Amino acid sequence: MAQRTIEIVVGLFMVAGLAALLVLALQVSGLSPKAAESTYTLYANFNDTGGLTPRGKISMAGVTVGTIESISLDKETFQARVKMSIQSEVDNIPADSSAVIRTSGLLGEQYIDISIGGDMESLQEGDTFYSTQSAMNLERLISNFASGK
Amino acid sequence: MLDRIASLGRLGLDIVASLGRSGRFLGGVLAGVPRPVSGFPLLVKQIYAVGVLSLAIVVVSGLFIGMVLGLQGYTILSDYGSESAIGQMIALTLVRELGPVVTALLFAGRAGSALTAEIGLMKATEQLSSMEMMGVDPLRRVIAPRLWAGFIAMPILAVIFSVVGIWGGMLVGVEWLGVFEGSFWGNMQSSVDFLDDVMNGVIKSVVFGFVCAWIAVFQGYDCVPTSAGISSATTKTVVYSSLAVLGLDFVLTAVMFGDF
Amino acid sequence: MGSTAYISLKDVVFSRSGRRIFDGITLDIPRGKITAIMGPSGTGKTTLLRLIGGQLRPDTGSVQVDGHEVPRLKRKALYALREKMGMLFQSGALFTDLSVFENVAFPLRVHTKLPEDMIHDIVLMKLEAVGLRGARHLMPSELSGGMTRRVALARSIALDPELIMYDEPFAGQDPIAMGVLVKLIRDLNSSMGLTSVLVSHDVPESLSICHYACIIADGKVIGEGTPEELKAHPSDQVQQFLQGQPDGPVPFHYPADDASRDFGLGGA
Repeated sequence: MAQRTIEIVVGLFMVAGLAALLVLALQVSGLSPKAAESTYTLYANFNDTGGLTPRGKISMAGVTVGTIESISLDKETFQARVKMSIQSEVDNIPADSSAVIRTSGLLGEQYIDISIGGDMESLQEGDTFYSTQSAMNLERLISNFASGK
Repeated sequence: MLDRIASLGRLGLDIVASLGRSGRFLGGVLAGVPRPVSGFPLLVKQIYAVGVLSLAIVVVSGLFIGMVLGLQGYTILSDYGSESAIGQMIALTLVRELGPVVTALLFAGRAGSALTAEIGLMKATEQLSSMEMMGVDPLRRVIAPRLWAGFIAMPILAVIFSVVGIWGGMLVGVEWLGVFEGSFWGNMQSSVDFLDDVMNGVIKSVVFGFVCAWIAVFQGYDCVPTSAGISSATTKTVVYSSLAVLGLDFVLTAVMFGDF
Repeated sequence: MGSTAYISLKDVVFSRSGRRIFDGITLDIPRGKITAIMGPSGTGKTTLLRLIGGQLRPDTGSVQVDGHEVPRLKRKALYALREKMGMLFQSGALFTDLSVFENVAFPLRVHTKLPEDMIHDIVLMKLEAVGLRGARHLMPSELSGGMTRRVALARSIALDPELIMYDEPFAGQDPIAMGVLVKLIRDLNSSMGLTSVLVSHDVPESLSICHYACIIADGKVIGEGTPEELKAHPSDQVQQFLQGQPDGPVPFHYPADDASRDFGLGGA
């Protein structure tokens, strides 16, 4: 076989490898090509974040509107402080909305669901959710049920 | 009794000597920086032999493994009512583990054994010697392109394996078993991290590619130049590569994903 | 003599895996002549060529080629020296993945920066010299044993070396192929002025073309000189080898215990 044919085939092979890597990046790991998608930051304090992890999703009515940036411990209140980045187009979240940690399916991912309030004011960059609901702890739930409380 | 201890000692010495030889061999191969002009066509030819020709087996295996993962995952996860997590399960298994490991095992069987046999035969027919006598260093001319080709081809093959596997899993999960496509991809995307999962998998396959190619070319170069010697070297290539891949996989996984 | 010697070995001792193969060999190979090195199988004639080519290093003693002390040469100098050497291996050692043309072109491509059309001409010239210009498109697997050796010969003279070493060129060849090779070796030597070293145990063919011969046995040179001198050599061992007598100073039997004991007979 001519050297040139081999070179072309090997070139295609490498392109296929790059394409596959691109698929893994975009489709599988959800790396967004528009890296600087404009977002704004909100905070929420939880008593218990359960299995919430950074990069987890934040949804409203089941639609993803942002991701969790980081989770840290607030040393004064001993609560978990979750930093979230919300897409800029969703700029009208009512100020009395609450952030709820939910689980998709029985054993699925945990994510933050924003249940909408009715306030006319909306949350701005850097604001903190007033009301939150912590992760449903299955173990605690069962032990509460068993002890009849 | 003393004889047994002596033979054990001899075995140990042989192993150490062989490790030393392979290390020196690697040094000799890598010391010669490949000359870009004359070396490039050789490298391309080897990438063709080692990579492109392994593509078929890798794609087919990837497809089937992905499909099996889809079926098994669905059966297990549907017990807990979370069959939508099937996407993340398939993707994580493939990208982190099965992609690099299975590709490396296939590579050792398909390309590694061929490399060993080819080099062994070149040695047996004095082609390596005659090259040396022509003032051409066989380490650079014959061995180095093959080593680099394995090094380059393996990550490409592993990535293709993962993608095909995920596609196969989607075929079974979404098209056949009826998992909702949105949650299939959504779950996957929220749990697979590009750097932590995809790139670590790629790093693994780079390491495996290097080790498999190294073992293959060394066994060929170091073999006893007879038909029995070549066949035993070929067997050794497959066995040692497989063991090295599985062992290294544990070490790398512990370093990358273990919480120390 | 010393000034015309192209290769000179002095007190070379070489042993491999505990067995002493050369036990103090001293030998001068004259420039521009054909020298035959003969000896029974297993005396390390091929090893001798590898010592000259620097693929092996002697335990002690010196190996000089064209004034260079081969075992002491640095890698780079050694490879440079090897460009001046051609070696014809017993099996031919053609690269099986290259065609005849590419095989002969190989040393040219590696060591020179000649343009393609020049390489083409040189390769055809070399192939013409061995009578195989028409076989340039064949692959090594399509060649007969004699043709393989001729192609290998063309390849080893591609760079116009000063020295060419033949490792058992006649072994396993039919009479015609042998005759062709004898003619080629002689022609190459006379037309190009090559120093030729011929390792063989085919006595009549070797003696018919060489200017100078030496016989090695038991790690030592047991006889050397021109073919005529050798034929009149007083040593029994030399005569036994030259005339191919089955028994003599070199015993027919491999050293063994007393036969009667091995067969379970005898006194005890």
